[in-house]
Amino acid sequence: MEQRSISVTRPEIAADGLGFFRWGQVAGKVLVTNDAGEWAFLEDGELADLIGGRVGSDHARFEEFQSKGLVRDGLDLDALATRVSKRSGHVRFGPRLHVVNLTRRGGNPLDMSAETADRIVDFALKGTSPAISFEFQGADGDPFANLAVLQHLVQQAQSISQHTAGKTLRFRALSNLRSMTEEIAEWMIANDVLLSTTLDGPAALHDDNRAHLGGATHADVVRWIEYFQRRYAELGRDPHQWNVDARLAVTARTLASPREVADEYVARKIGVIHVRPLEAWAFDAETWRKIGYTQPQYLEFRRTLLDYILELNRGGSDLIDSLAAVIAAKILTARDPGTVDLQSPSGAGSSQLAYGADGRIFPCDEARVIDDSGDSLFEIGNVADVDVGRLTRHPTVRSIASASLLDAQPMCTDSWSKPYVGINPVRTYLTQGDLFGQGHRCIELAEQLAIATRIFESLAAADTADRQVFERWAATESPHVIGERLGKAVP
Amino acid sequence: MASQEGTPESRLGFSLSSNDISFELDESVYPLEAIYGASYLFLDRCYVYLTRPKDQIVGVRLTAQEAAGAKELDALAGSFANELLSQTLRLKLAQSTARIREYYTAAALRAATSSPSVDDLLAELESEELLEDPLEIMVPWEEKHGRDQGGESSNG
Repeated sequence: MEQRSISVTRPEIAADGLGFFRWGQVAGKVLVTNDAGEWAFLEDGELADLIGGRVGSDHARFEEFQSKGLVRDGLDLDALATRVSKRSGHVRFGPRLHVVNLTRRGGNPLDMSAETADRIVDFALKGTSPAISFEFQGADGDPFANLAVLQHLVQQAQSISQHTAGKTLRFRALSNLRSMTEEIAEWMIANDVLLSTTLDGPAALHDDNRAHLGGATHADVVRWIEYFQRRYAELGRDPHQWNVDARLAVTARTLASPREVADEYVARKIGVIHVRPLEAWAFDAETWRKIGYTQPQYLEFRRTLLDYILELNRGGSDLIDSLAAVIAAKILTARDPGTVDLQSPSGAGSSQLAYGADGRIFPCDEARVIDDSGDSLFEIGNVADVDVGRLTRHPTVRSIASASLLDAQPMCTDSWSKPYVGINPVRTYLTQGDLFGQGHRCIELAEQLAIATRIFESLAAADTADRQVFERWAATESPHVIGERLGKAVP
Repeated sequence: MASQEGTPESRLGFSLSSNDISFELDESVYPLEAIYGASYLFLDRCYVYLTRPKDQIVGVRLTAQEAAGAKELDALAGSFANELLSQTLRLKLAQSTARIREYYTAAALRAATSSPSVDDLLAELESEELLEDPLEIMVPWEEKHGRDQGGESSNG
């Protein structure tokens, strides 16, 4: 055993003169962020000056540091509290995203009844949120297998809201389009039900993926995307608000084709791309060997894809990367775009609820998926006998809130990225068997960090072209981005 | 010795063997929370073993997950030493600003979750009159209200 030593220089800290902030290295500069998500890049020596208490009122950046709460001299706590409040507004509204699973298949098949749908509508519209979103799902990616109840639920919600509740309603169906018909499509368009589907890239890639994942062929998916877009155009609807939303399931084969995937989305005039990694737990070992990948492989693909989407945008494309848009909004604006998976604490159980076909309630859709596998750990109630206060105070919801509070997550609490990322403890339970999990094993967190880093790299380089793209994405009002969840790819 | 005013410099010793490095860290220099924090951040790069060889001393052994030479282990030691310093600074900052954070977080959540009744507002007013700048950092009234409060905060 050899003895060695390292030279260590311990910087002075004038802690009593400082506000609270986090810092780290991005693009060769020191990035400082505060709890309100405000940020500043520091030049060489400025962090040491700040921490050492050498930033006085005569310092060139004193007013900026003061306004961002980095120094205690003149710190306006009430103003800072107001700005932090804007970031945590989700705790104010109660459940606003209701994920309704209309069918259950397997050993104990069940279609949701109209009575259960009525109870879900009553419960959702009695909530305190002024805007309510219903997301419809079905077993095997087909909510239309229980079309009559889906239609009944939408009409009930519209009727009650129009006459009493007065809430803004939004409806979205997640479908692999296998049972889509013109009649269903026309009903969706007439009743303002948005469509989300899966498009995995060009035909060869999509059809190869679907051989493993199930779902409609590329030809069918494209045919229906074009149908909806043609009808929206004929009705004169705003294409930024009325557009088919597509999700990309990334398999090992996708990793080699980021440009082809983005080009396909642009060719199909899709406004928003949702990119999701596959999760190993959802596949048997043999399938995962064929289609799976490592976290570094996925992150490299994700970075290349985002770079190419930015390049397309600089050339005039409107394609929005949904996750980058959400994080850009957190970085570049004072508002929070309300994505339940990127909130601290997580919105599972407080902003989002999921319902099984039998009316049982779960904090989020992943929790319902766990229940489908026979583990009812996350069940928090039933619409037949429910009280919203009891639900949001349920020990399971509180445990999820504790586990997702980033101030208590060792990797996040000290990181500059804390105001811009989030953890879904139900997903860490699925992937790591633990609500808290380990941050570096969480692929979603790594993806969020990579995208936040990419945005800040553009800001550090004063890249005005990229910044303009990120600002445009941050300002989007697309219903496929605002108030969304990261969600899964439609099977 | 000191490299410059306020930045004391010293040597941090470590042992290097075939595939790991070991430190004995004095808690009076590196608080236990900082050692935990730094160790956690290395979980994806190496296996971390913590021991208590004697009072106030924490033993840290970092074992590379894959075969590593002296050069890589040296770099690992340097990175860990940097992270120890960083975690120590962060801990001191977090401790010194704990009451400030509690204040604005509570105020933010209060604003986010409640529509106060008249009784609540009166109670709040009364408590404000009774408490004289509990954190000793309040902004003078004139300074706060003389300022333009029209715009939202802008980032960046």
